[in-house]
Amino acid sequence: MAFIDMLHIEKNYGSVAVLQDVSLSMERGEVVSIIGPSGSGKSTFLRCLGQLGSIQKGTIIVDGATLVDTPANVGEAVYVGKEEQQRILLKMGMVFQSFNLFPHMTVLENIMVAPRMVKGMKDADILPIAQSLLEKVGLWDKRDVYPSTLSGGQKQRVAIARALAMKPEIMLFDEPTSALDPEFTSEVLRTIKELAEEDMTMIIVTHEMAFAREVADRVIFMADGKIQEEGTPEEVFGNPQNPRTQAFLNSMLRV
Amino acid sequence: MDLLEYMLQIAPAIAGGFQVTLSLFFIVIILSVPGGLLLALLRLSTNRVVTTIVDAYVYVMRGTPLMLQILLIYYGLPFMIDGFELTDMTAAVLSFVLNYIAYLCEIFRSGIQSIPKGQYEGAKVLGFTYVQTMYKIILPQVIKRVLPPLANETITLLKDTSLVYVLAMNDILRITRSIVQRDFDITAFIVAGVFYLAMTFVLTKLYQYLERRMAMYED
Repeated sequence: MAFIDMLHIEKNYGSVAVLQDVSLSMERGEVVSIIGPSGSGKSTFLRCLGQLGSIQKGTIIVDGATLVDTPANVGEAVYVGKEEQQRILLKMGMVFQSFNLFPHMTVLENIMVAPRMVKGMKDADILPIAQSLLEKVGLWDKRDVYPSTLSGGQKQRVAIARALAMKPEIMLFDEPTSALDPEFTSEVLRTIKELAEEDMTMIIVTHEMAFAREVADRVIFMADGKIQEEGTPEEVFGNPQNPRTQAFLNSMLRV
Repeated sequence: MDLLEYMLQIAPAIAGGFQVTLSLFFIVIILSVPGGLLLALLRLSTNRVVTTIVDAYVYVMRGTPLMLQILLIYYGLPFMIDGFELTDMTAAVLSFVLNYIAYLCEIFRSGIQSIPKGQYEGAKVLGFTYVQTMYKIILPQVIKRVLPPLANETITLLKDTSLVYVLAMNDILRITRSIVQRDFDITAFIVAGVFYLAMTFVLTKLYQYLERRMAMYED
């Protein structure tokens, strides 16, 4: 059994099938990039793992714990109890395109609030963690400002630090640089790359092809709610087999 | 000067109405704000029955005059329920609270709905429960956004308290009216107006202070 198993995932919005039999298995420390056109279902797929969306069919198992399964005699997805869902959720950290920092809290408070409220940790124990994370993303001197005063790249680095403060085993990135001005993209990508070098298990949905190629152990190309092609970055970017992949990569490179 | 002397002479009597006006105002505010918030949370629940009931309630309470509601509760309730007696203050508080929670419900509902979905998602993936998310993430931001309409509603309430003259309660306006009728002189109305302005001035300043405090962060 792999570290993460997402098997035969199906999801519909009404009669529209957004995920059709999508499967992904990952080992601990692996970095997977998911690429594909808008509306391909790649973000939806990631969000199902982050429990921001439910699935209609399929199985999700994280580190041996089943989040959802589809017993043959039931025919539709059955989720485990709330407590177990929460336990699995806490293994994950998630970073969004729109940052989703809490605007009414300072940078430091954004990072400390979840360990305090969710894990019941003492401030004295959280502070050193928050400090080392903010120093790592280069924003310790910004600890007392509100998010609105930060650039997009700084906001996203705070968001990454906030997720890491919960000590996740898996990091999910949902188009982390899509809302950024180009000049701020590299600082965020550098932070993500450092995580990869520390063997963090990561799934990164991205439009940054060069970055996906550089950081990922495996690249998945999705379109129309299905995995069209997957392989090492060299295989997918260097020698794509599926015509859909070829067309997509051509359109991304033709600027 | 005669006029000023007369004003000073009647002022203490009119000021005697502060007690009714202000106690009604504070009791209603203290009960209505949490009540309106609770109603808004019910309105935003996923239970269709609950949301329909709240919608209907808000429609009725906003769609009929507050005066009608006061009269109906004061005269109607004892009539409908045998042996039920209502003091004028209780009837006034009850009708104002029932009316104001409908308006406040709409203010809080729109405030809560104006918070981006990403705030809930950000909190959810960090492991916050619904109650924690509301208490720590959503509502603190809602308060900032609803302060201007809340200020409006509060000032309206302060003036609406004068409606209790129909219950023969001696608030500022009723005392004023009796002085006008006794002395055959409308000066008392001016004095009452000044009193109301003084109270709304304090409220306005209070809300300005709160808005400034909340302005330390931007959305």
